[in-house]
Amino acid sequence: MHQLCDMEPRVMDDDMLKLAVGEQGPRDEAGQLAKQEGILFKDVLSLQLDFQNILRIDNLWQFENLRKLQLDNNTIEKIEGLEKLTRLVWLDLSFNNIETIEGLDTLVNLEDLSLFNNRIAKIDSLDALVKLQVLSLGNNRIGNLMKIIYLRRFKDLRTLSLAGNPIAAAEDYRMFICAYLPDLVYLDFRRIDDHTKELAEVKHQYSTDELKHQENLMQARLEDEQARREELEEHKAAFVENLNGSFLFDSMYAEDVEGSKLASLPGVAELMETYKDKFVIICLNIFEYGLKQQEKRKAELDTFNERVQEAVQENQAQGRHRTAEFEEKHLLSLSTIRGESELTDIETKIADQREDIAELSNALMTLEMQLVEQLEETINMFERNIVDLVELFIENVQSLMAQCRDLENHHHEKLLEIAINILEKIVKGELDEDLPDDVRALFVDKDTIVNAVGASHDMHLLKIDNREDELVTRVNSWCTHLVDKIHKDEMTRNRRRVKEINQYGDHVQGELDSLECGDILD
Amino acid sequence: MEVLKEKVEEEEAAEREDAAERAERGEKMMRLMEVRKEETTMTQEMLRDLERKLSEIEVSIPEKPSTFTKDTIDISKLPLSYKSNTPKEEHLLQVADNFSRQYSLLCPDRVPLFLHPLNECEVPKFVSTTIRPTLMPYPELYNWDTCAQFVSDFLAMLPLPDPLKPTVQEEEKAPPKKYAIKPPRDLSSRFEQEQEMKRQEEIKAAEEKRWRQEEERLMEVDSAKTDPLHGLRVHSWVLVLSGKREVPESFFIDPFTARSYSTQDDNFLGIESLWNHKNYWINMQDCWNCCKDLIFDLGDPVMWEYLLLGTDKPLLSPAEEEDNGANDDDDVENLGKEDEDKSFDMPNSWVEQIEISPEVFETRCPNGKKVIQYKKAKLEKWAPYLNNNGLVCRLTTYEDLECTKTLEIKEWYQNREDMLELKHINKTTGLNIDYFKPGHPQALRVHSYTSMQPEMDRVMEFYEKARVDGLIKREETPKTMTEYYQGRPDFLSYRHINFGPRVKKLVLNSAESNPRPVVKIIERFFRNPAKPADEDVAERVFLILDERIQLRYHCREDHITASKREFLRRTEVDSKGNKIIMTPDMCISFEVEPMEHTKKLLYQYEAMMKLKNEEKLSRHQAWESELEVLEILKLREEEEEAHVLTTSIYDTKRNEKSKEYREAMERVMHEEHLRQVEAQLDYLAPFLAQLPPGEKLTRWQAVRLKDECLSDFKQRLINKANLIQARFEKETQELQKQQQWYQENQVTLTPEDEDLYLSYCSQAMFRIRILEQRLNRHKELAPLKYLALEEKLYKDPRLVELLKVFV
Repeated sequence: MHQLCDMEPRVMDDDMLKLAVGEQGPRDEAGQLAKQEGILFKDVLSLQLDFQNILRIDNLWQFENLRKLQLDNNTIEKIEGLEKLTRLVWLDLSFNNIETIEGLDTLVNLEDLSLFNNRIAKIDSLDALVKLQVLSLGNNRIGNLMKIIYLRRFKDLRTLSLAGNPIAAAEDYRMFICAYLPDLVYLDFRRIDDHTKELAEVKHQYSTDELKHQENLMQARLEDEQARREELEEHKAAFVENLNGSFLFDSMYAEDVEGSKLASLPGVAELMETYKDKFVIICLNIFEYGLKQQEKRKAELDTFNERVQEAVQENQAQGRHRTAEFEEKHLLSLSTIRGESELTDIETKIADQREDIAELSNALMTLEMQLVEQLEETINMFERNIVDLVELFIENVQSLMAQCRDLENHHHEKLLEIAINILEKIVKGELDEDLPDDVRALFVDKDTIVNAVGASHDMHLLKIDNREDELVTRVNSWCTHLVDKIHKDEMTRNRRRVKEINQYGDHVQGELDSLECGDILD
Repeated sequence: MEVLKEKVEEEEAAEREDAAERAERGEKMMRLMEVRKEETTMTQEMLRDLERKLSEIEVSIPEKPSTFTKDTIDISKLPLSYKSNTPKEEHLLQVADNFSRQYSLLCPDRVPLFLHPLNECEVPKFVSTTIRPTLMPYPELYNWDTCAQFVSDFLAMLPLPDPLKPTVQEEEKAPPKKYAIKPPRDLSSRFEQEQEMKRQEEIKAAEEKRWRQEEERLMEVDSAKTDPLHGLRVHSWVLVLSGKREVPESFFIDPFTARSYSTQDDNFLGIESLWNHKNYWINMQDCWNCCKDLIFDLGDPVMWEYLLLGTDKPLLSPAEEEDNGANDDDDVENLGKEDEDKSFDMPNSWVEQIEISPEVFETRCPNGKKVIQYKKAKLEKWAPYLNNNGLVCRLTTYEDLECTKTLEIKEWYQNREDMLELKHINKTTGLNIDYFKPGHPQALRVHSYTSMQPEMDRVMEFYEKARVDGLIKREETPKTMTEYYQGRPDFLSYRHINFGPRVKKLVLNSAESNPRPVVKIIERFFRNPAKPADEDVAERVFLILDERIQLRYHCREDHITASKREFLRRTEVDSKGNKIIMTPDMCISFEVEPMEHTKKLLYQYEAMMKLKNEEKLSRHQAWESELEVLEILKLREEEEEAHVLTTSIYDTKRNEKSKEYREAMERVMHEEHLRQVEAQLDYLAPFLAQLPPGEKLTRWQAVRLKDECLSDFKQRLINKANLIQARFEKETQELQKQQQWYQENQVTLTPEDEDLYLSYCSQAMFRIRILEQRLNRHKELAPLKYLALEEKLYKDPRLVELLKVFV
């Protein structure tokens, strides 16, 4: 180890950082300015802290715009304190005492990472570094060649160094890496020639093919899942998720103990069958209707947005035109005023210019007011339409849900009838079939069985009600939310515009004033 | 399909310059007198004479036109079909006469029909048979516009002796002429002349009316105002019917100008009749409103009376076909007639097929040159490569009718190496505009200028894709230069440079350039989508004298004002004598969304330094642009001087290189051929011929054959040696004789004789030496040749078997 090891470990404190920043900052005239003003850590793009005998990375959180950080040739043992440096592209941690790769999960922009000459035994925890191009892991303690496969996920990785690791001694080392990382261009600072690549590919074809196959499978699965998730999201946006099947029906019976018991009664199975069919058909109706309505709402919203956008664009174009016109004139008159020598002339010209500014402000404000009025009207109209749409949707869904309830009621009556028949049969002792004990327990007396059937019925109704409520609440809240957002956006837009106009007016006014001051001073 | 065919035919007809395939006897009041040879027509003429005095006048005219039509044709070489009629043609002529008689009876008020004019051999021929659809190998002739253009170019205009009366004879004679030589000239010329004159006069009339209103001139007003010949002129032109080959609606083509006219055009006052190579139709519709109300449904016998009820009804509208159901009765009535008529198929054309050689096709106009005089304008055309500067067309427009004061000249060029395409010279403003095709070495597209001197008003446009810097246009005035760019990686779109007056150098060094000082540079940039709007400069202005730099940024998407920044560079010194590097008032910024880091002096300083640097670059760029202008001007002058023409590598006639190559190849081929012929010389042939033919050789014969051949060859070799020897000896003897003579007369010889003798000696010595060499060489080679032949004979396929056994 090098000489610095003997020295006292140093702490990365403010002074050290300031010193480094100052030394590495601009030179000459710019340097003078920098000194005069001081440099904020967050403006620093590149920082070099090598040979400082640093033990622990610290105090770097202010460097949020840092692109390049060099911490090589220190005695760092742990990668830490880099979480805020999300813009980092280049990180050098070579010649330290790091044992594990960690603490890099926020550095998503990192392209070049050097961990040369450390004590790392395992390649992992690099998942976040999706842009990684150069990885230097030479002179470490990596011993498992198979772990290289981990690096396959970095699609941009072109340069890799692993020399000086135990794995580099392996006979197959180079071939293996070339085969498993076919996009690699440089390995251990040497270009991989095409011949080697071909050889490696042939040699390891069998296993790489299998690997590829698995990766493809995995990819396909992920994509499937993604597609399913997206579909569900779409359904959710239409508020009719899980209505395209027997999900609701199944959920009615999921927690219904009595129901499932009763289902085993003779004759109930057929009844259930038809009931389920009819119920699912209604659910499907709701589902399809929901999707259609969603389309309608979306189209409505799109048209609205488009129109609003058009109006705003047009208004902006007018505003820009006015400003540009004014700007031209303004510049011209500023330069004439500068060139003018007669004080009275200057004063009249300045006065004229002032008037022009006021006129511009007024014109822009008028434009803005016009737009506000126009938008107000449109927004109100949209609000009415969307609320109508939502109401219609709710109404229709409710009527469909009512059909569900009717079915349930019907089913309930039938079930009750069967149950009472059976009870009578049991009482009369005419029952042929054997009933399971727990079912038979329901047929103690009429109250029990009626209660049981009733409870099942209540449960079902509750589920239906819940689903309906959920739908209605969500669609309503979506609607209010949407309308609120539109209003709010418009308000922000208006405030921003007014602010912009004022700011601009102030600025040109200021220019004029400074001219006046200057002249008076002269 | 039928209509399609017709279209093709029409075009072909136009090729042939018949100019009258669909010729319609134009104006309503047109007088078209046909003088017919048959007696029947004579009676008609008599009738006509009674009715109209005009016809008498016509009779007197016919001689004149023949004078200028006959001279070019040698009738004796024309094929028989020109000189006589086939029985079928005779039959057709009878039918036509019959038709004509009926017609004149039914429509006594109308002009007699133009049915069978005399051809150049004074034989009457039915008009339709003068048309012979021909397919030509030139793609240009496949579409009506280029085809019509060719026809019009090909025609030379000859004014009619009397524009009013295109006499029958003339017309009769015209068509035959056409066919014999590239014939259409006569006919076309007359018609064209008429058309041209009519058009001219109408234009004149309109123009002069205006002229009069403006300037109240009295001069030509009267003649212009009312055209005494209005409605009397005759013309024939081409009608293209709609329906096939994507022709959306019917239109006219004037064969002499190659222009198309709508059927609604006011210039076409009416149609008497029309024909193609299959049939002849008479217009039965009223032409009171010119041709505007005419319906071109030739299948409708009410509107178009046909001469032959041919198998082809060129155009029968669907509606018409539906109507047919209702008209069944009529059809039945007509049935017999129809059958009868059907027997008259149009006979094949008597005309020879037209041939246009590629040279003639390329030359187009007679002698490759054509001048058309328009009112206040002159159009000149040349064949490509005729002028050595590539000029192919020139249009000169004049201010006055006498064509003395030039207004504008437009010159079109072809095949120029500098890709110059069109030169537009405005004589009044002195503005020249040159247009270039892609491929100029400096990617020039348009160059407009008043003078070739630099630093004057000038606009150069470029093919920006061919330029590395994406320059589209450069405008210059004496004090400014403006450049427009497109598609640059730095998004520069515009650069405007103001120059100040040139500073006089103290040391006048003419070799060194003395660029004008740059006063102001304005640069504009397109939006760079990779940068936020607040950091993307839209315009920057370098006020070089003020040391002021103004920046205007692009406008944000949702904003109406844009950020701007102004840098004022002043090198000042503070109270302590230190140089002030940067102060807040050196940079005035307006930011739409105020940002923190831009407030820093360091940032401003760095921005200013960068701008200073870029100002230098821009100034350098301005200087380079000036240099480039100079370079282009020089290049243009050189090009104008040299005007090199290019030839396509496919142009085998003109491309010297390829010609040489081709000729070399041909020579090689020829030599190769000769060698082959030689190789095929059969040395055994004379000996084999002595043997009875067809029999197989015996061994004995073979041996004898071989021996004979060899001995013969030996003899030839000996003969040759002897021949050379004999010549050698003869020369030697002669020389000795001369030498003897010389020695004897040496004293008395004149110097001339001596010279003569000496030159003879040297020549004789040369001959002797050569003969000696030849003899030696022959002696050396003879045995080898003999052996070679022997070996060849042993290997000869005819002898090999027999000799082998023998050996």
